[in-house]
Amino acid sequence: MIKEASIRKPLILGHKTYGDITNDVVSPIEGPAPKQWKIAITIAAIVALYGVGCIMYLVANGIGSWGLNKTVGWAWDITNFVWWVGIGHAGTLISAVLLLFRQRWRMAINRSAEAMTIFAVIMAALFPVFHMGRVWLAYWTLPLPNQFGSLWPNFNSALMWDVFAISTYFSVSLVFWYIGLIPDFATIRDRMVNPKMKKFYSILSFGWSGRAKHWTRFEEVSLVLAGIATPLVFSVHSIVSMDFATSVIPGWHTTIFPPYFVSGAVFSGFAMVLTLLLIMRKTMRLEAYIHLKHVEYMNIVIIVTGSIVGVAYLTELFISWYSGVEYESYAFINRFSGPYSWSYWMMMTCNVISPQLFWFKKIRTSLTATFILSIVVNIGMWFERFVIIVTSIHRDYTPGAWGEFHPSSIDIGLFIGTIGIFFTLFLLFARYFPVLALNELKTILKVSGESYKNDKSH
Amino acid sequence: MGMNKKYWTGLDELNNTPAFQEAISNEFSNTERVEDFLSNDKLKETNTGRRDFLKFMGFSVAAATLAACETPVVKSIPYVVKPEEITPGIANYYASTYYDGNDYGNILVKTREGRPIFIKGNKGLGLAKGNIGARINASVIGLYDSARLKGPKKGGSDITWTDLDNEVKGALASARNIRIVSNTIISPTTQRAINEFSTKYAGKVKHVQYDAISYNGITKANLASFGKAVVPSYDFGKAEVIVSIAADFLGTWLTPAMYQIGYSEGRDVDNGKMSKHFQLESVMSLTGSNSDERIPIKPSQEGKVAAAIYASITGSTEKVEGVNEVVFNKMITALKGAAGKSLVVAGSNDPNVQLIVNAINQSLGNYGKTIDINNPITLYRGNDADMLALVDEMNGGAVDALIVYGANPSYSWYQSDKFNTGLSKVKTSISFNGFADETASRCTYMAPDHHYLESWNDFSFINGRIDLAQPTITPLYNTRQAQESMLRWSDNGSSYYDYMRTTHNGSYTSPMMATDSSWNMAVHNGTFAATVAAAPEATAPTPPATPTPTLNVAAAISAVKAIKAGTWEVALYEKITVGNGNQANNPYLQETPDPITKVTWDNYITMSPLDAKEFGYNVNLGQESAATVAKVTVNGKEMTLPVFPAPGQKRGTIGIALGFGRGAGNEEIGSAAYQIGEYGEHMLVDDKRVPIGKNAFAMATMVDGVPVYAGYSASVDITEEEYYLATTQMQNTVMGRDSVVKETTFATFMAEKDKKKGTATYNMVPALVVHEDINKDGVINAQDKKPTSEIDLWADHPVEGVGHRWGLTIDLTSCLGCGACITACHTENNVPVVGKEEVLKHRDMHWLRIDRYFSSDFATVEETSEKKDLGTIAAYRDMENAAENPRTVHMPMMCQHCNHAPCETVCPVAATVHSNEGLNNMAYNRCIGTRYCANNCPYKVRRFNWFNYVTNDKFSNFNPSQGEMTRMVLNPDVTVRTRGVMEKCSMCQQRIQEGKLEAKKAGVPVPDGSIQTACAEACPTNAIVFGDLNDQASLNTKRSKNVRSYHALEEVGIQPNVFYMTKIRNIEETEA
Repeated sequence: MIKEASIRKPLILGHKTYGDITNDVVSPIEGPAPKQWKIAITIAAIVALYGVGCIMYLVANGIGSWGLNKTVGWAWDITNFVWWVGIGHAGTLISAVLLLFRQRWRMAINRSAEAMTIFAVIMAALFPVFHMGRVWLAYWTLPLPNQFGSLWPNFNSALMWDVFAISTYFSVSLVFWYIGLIPDFATIRDRMVNPKMKKFYSILSFGWSGRAKHWTRFEEVSLVLAGIATPLVFSVHSIVSMDFATSVIPGWHTTIFPPYFVSGAVFSGFAMVLTLLLIMRKTMRLEAYIHLKHVEYMNIVIIVTGSIVGVAYLTELFISWYSGVEYESYAFINRFSGPYSWSYWMMMTCNVISPQLFWFKKIRTSLTATFILSIVVNIGMWFERFVIIVTSIHRDYTPGAWGEFHPSSIDIGLFIGTIGIFFTLFLLFARYFPVLALNELKTILKVSGESYKNDKSH
Repeated sequence: MGMNKKYWTGLDELNNTPAFQEAISNEFSNTERVEDFLSNDKLKETNTGRRDFLKFMGFSVAAATLAACETPVVKSIPYVVKPEEITPGIANYYASTYYDGNDYGNILVKTREGRPIFIKGNKGLGLAKGNIGARINASVIGLYDSARLKGPKKGGSDITWTDLDNEVKGALASARNIRIVSNTIISPTTQRAINEFSTKYAGKVKHVQYDAISYNGITKANLASFGKAVVPSYDFGKAEVIVSIAADFLGTWLTPAMYQIGYSEGRDVDNGKMSKHFQLESVMSLTGSNSDERIPIKPSQEGKVAAAIYASITGSTEKVEGVNEVVFNKMITALKGAAGKSLVVAGSNDPNVQLIVNAINQSLGNYGKTIDINNPITLYRGNDADMLALVDEMNGGAVDALIVYGANPSYSWYQSDKFNTGLSKVKTSISFNGFADETASRCTYMAPDHHYLESWNDFSFINGRIDLAQPTITPLYNTRQAQESMLRWSDNGSSYYDYMRTTHNGSYTSPMMATDSSWNMAVHNGTFAATVAAAPEATAPTPPATPTPTLNVAAAISAVKAIKAGTWEVALYEKITVGNGNQANNPYLQETPDPITKVTWDNYITMSPLDAKEFGYNVNLGQESAATVAKVTVNGKEMTLPVFPAPGQKRGTIGIALGFGRGAGNEEIGSAAYQIGEYGEHMLVDDKRVPIGKNAFAMATMVDGVPVYAGYSASVDITEEEYYLATTQMQNTVMGRDSVVKETTFATFMAEKDKKKGTATYNMVPALVVHEDINKDGVINAQDKKPTSEIDLWADHPVEGVGHRWGLTIDLTSCLGCGACITACHTENNVPVVGKEEVLKHRDMHWLRIDRYFSSDFATVEETSEKKDLGTIAAYRDMENAAENPRTVHMPMMCQHCNHAPCETVCPVAATVHSNEGLNNMAYNRCIGTRYCANNCPYKVRRFNWFNYVTNDKFSNFNPSQGEMTRMVLNPDVTVRTRGVMEKCSMCQQRIQEGKLEAKKAGVPVPDGSIQTACAEACPTNAIVFGDLNDQASLNTKRSKNVRSYHALEEVGIQPNVFYMTKIRNIEETEA
């Protein structure tokens, strides 16, 4: 009998060898596309095309195709934007922040979480671009040299900061993700038989040879990028929140917005990662890599961030009353008792009550419950943005201008369309890219000692 | 001496060699024959490289392509001989006069490069002092209406004027009798033409005058009282107590343009004057919304109330059931205390009611003081009895020829069906109407008149003055002035202009009109004094100097008391926007919201929200949830209309606006007159376009041969149908927000009149507690408050005291809410007309809107919560509802041009920036349309171009910028905005610029008042004043320093350049 200290449970279950990992991750890429993937991508692509159609209709006819009006100048467009950006937060948090904190369990999920980030940010970026009345002049938001007498954008505007925040975040996330992919692409390249695919992956792998020098540089770059990306996790959503916080509108003009938005973003991002991973795990048979432990950890993050969000909601309510400002207090009374109170209560239920269910170990470790709650959380977070944006401006200072917003079919089509585009991209990723960071996973695999210890033949 | 040098092309020429001689004999020197060239073997050795080949190919293709492109031809035709008076870019103004049978105004027509583009009042002229109102202002677009008749027609097909004249003359000669039906004729020369026509066809002609909206009850009552069938002049300015029984004298009754001015003169609070105004009515009218005390009554009670007032002021006491007794008694006391300084008017067309009102005014001694019966206005002399007789005559087949001039009886006569049947029996019917409207399209001949902007005319509105109308453009179409047609048919070949000159040449009115220079002066002024009135009522007895009406009102009193009250009663009213419906196809007017309900593009049933609730109708505005449609039956007429819950409506009554339902037979009256569907197409039922609203003229009750616009016994039934109504304002009340609207009582105001601005109890400067010892008492506590205007994040814009600082001051006390500023702004600034579907989506584009706030039951949330025993949330919800009989505030709202504008900081591309003159500028070219600015505007005055209104088919049926002709009405000084950009009030930037340039040319500082924004110019009561706030002497600066003046939402700290002045009500303190 070998006595030893209690050790951490392994992060990869089953008796996997290095070869098994490679096989598990790469073989779906090499094999023919499964039927369910084909069905899924067909549906996603149809929805995506519908979304593209809505965009074309929008650009051809004008913003009037949406349901916006003279009082409510932003509604679904910016709601969707903030929602998608929020979702895009988990990836970077998992890959960068958890990397810096040496949370090795992240390795099973970071690849797909990062992919989700990239796609979510692309979806997010669609909205501020296409919500412009004259989208063909969108480049005017960039500080480009020009012939208009050297006309600069307005650096006072939070929208301007958005442009920088989102583009920085997107480019850093993309580079970070891609750098991580390079050794894995090389692995696929080395195994690929089909010459065309081999060529494809060899281009993607940037001539990776697996030399020690490559690995050193790889590690260094990953760390440096993680260092750059970490503040971005906090800055992006802080800046997005400043779109509202720097305004004068009661319900928008709130100093707690940056931390409140960041935790909300992490909250919804983790929920989205869970939604996607639980499907992927099942369909791609990755149970050995993504297991209950991951789900539980992520659920804990959801409890924490969900509670922060809940506290933020209550703080807002308290401050609106405590401030004694008529407009401020009415803005919040109107939120929970006005024409859009249903959306407020929807938000409260989904975001404040539902994550608290994860205090129960049974729920937190139930895959079905987690899957359902992850979707509930994302619905709640969508409504949070809707509540902040629409219920604040639809009844602000001047009662004579009060109005209501009703979405048009184009509003709805565009939103659903972005979900379609997102899933199309994600499905393509799942089919052609290594969904797990296999080079990283191999660093947490215990091979020799474990198998020796458990081998009863000795 | 010529040239003495000779030059040679070479030695060959100098030597004149034979080779040279041969060479010059050939036409083409140095030629090689083509066949020689092609047969040259060396040619085959050369080769064209691939690159060269591609170059040649590329060049040829590009050249061919470019040659195929046609450069678009932009036609810009310069004047060959520039007319002396037209300078491109400089507007000309012509004095003229507007009269359409209902509205009358002295106008200035602004023309640019020969096109009339804007109508404004000729300030100071006439009894209305050049006040014109929304309808006249918007009438300019009618000139360019593409549905106008483009020439004479016979039975739907074109005909020449010569043929028409011959045929008509033949028909008239053979006719047994000829009838002319017109609205009230107030033009002496037109009357002269009609007289000449009558002489020509002597013995056969009878001229019938009737008004679409009849005031025959007033004229009949005055005939009975004073022997004069006239409408007297009322002076609301001299009246200290005004009692109006359902007369909307500030909106639609008689000549509101005049009364608005008088009314506001009598309510000049800054000079310590404020009349007390009581209004008794069933539908809340514009006048009712301005009154100090309003008593809701049923239409059947109008006479009874008048009788009760009469009884009460002549000794006995009398009350009317269901009428608020406290207020009624207060009114009687006020009237008794203001004998000779009061004015009682009634809107009813019932002669009995008017007789009683005459008696009241007589008892109060108001004649000769506030009412002048000796200088009546000439309008509304229509005689409904004549019209009734004519219709019978026509139906009896006794009329051979009918001439319709300026009237549309097939639409506006209360028995239009009967008129139409009669019309079909008339052998020859001729219409002068400019459109193939309801009447014209049923006539045999259409002989279209000029538009008023193409015509000469003269008008005698009041004894002693003639106002002139002059053409401002050559007639656009092959039309002919109606009077000229009459002259032709009377065998008078004179032009109407010459004819008119002779009218005023000596014998008729003023001898001085004989010379050209004095005539030209009169045309320039648009008016001249006339010594002899062109009074057609020459036979009327001369009234005594002090009128003593026959005070035999006993019969009238018993008649009005005999009117039985119905469970449901209908009040028919006129809207200030659409009026009697003669401009139903005017998109500006249709889109101007009703001042009370804020509904556009429709008529509907107004019903008390309490009744609506009780009977299960939708009590919300018909915008978010469709309005219930109800079926009204009155006087045997049935009509289905959507129900609008209107606060202030007397319970048990409904109101329906007249002037709608034009073009019910799909007549060509203009595409904007019909309902438009979601994609800009006309809604069709049985292939016919559906008119906007329903025609309610038929619902009038006939009393003593005059139509009274009420139904005393009606039934209202709910139907299954639903209908959406488009309103521009969805929140009825101000929610106790006294930093938006400030109001106080006259007594409080007078008591604190001499206080410094910002210290009056009703207008305290908002202040915040700060950590500084502001009051210097040695401790920092809650008493240390700093005005919000001094708390600032930013460096100040250098607008204070530097150069100009443009601003507006808006007096909520004198603002009547009439909406003249809305149409003026609309037409001046090319604001897009967006149609009902877009208004329904809450997307009207008005740069200037008037927020109309009704009072809730209690003024503040705290009070509501306490008095109604409600929690705060429930109290807020309760405050969203207007009181049953609310008080009203009209608050014009446009861009406030904040010095610390929230919109400016948030624009990512700096498309909206502050000028150094205090204006918030909008650079359309730079705007990319993020709408962030609109979201961040606390007043929500920014308007986004949701579509390309200029090209999108959705708007082609009503947007002026889309019509080939109507786009000529656009102001060339103002950019027509494209899709996707934000726009808003520019404070009429173009006018400011023009005014500054004028001053610069004159070498003087900009004189105060020389620049007027369209809204300020259109305001009848000077509620809106524009001026330089840096000019210490300017009226605007003085007003901005008034004790009543404040910034809306001052505590937000955005420092607007628009000031509001507290609304003062002449009510007792406890009611405030």
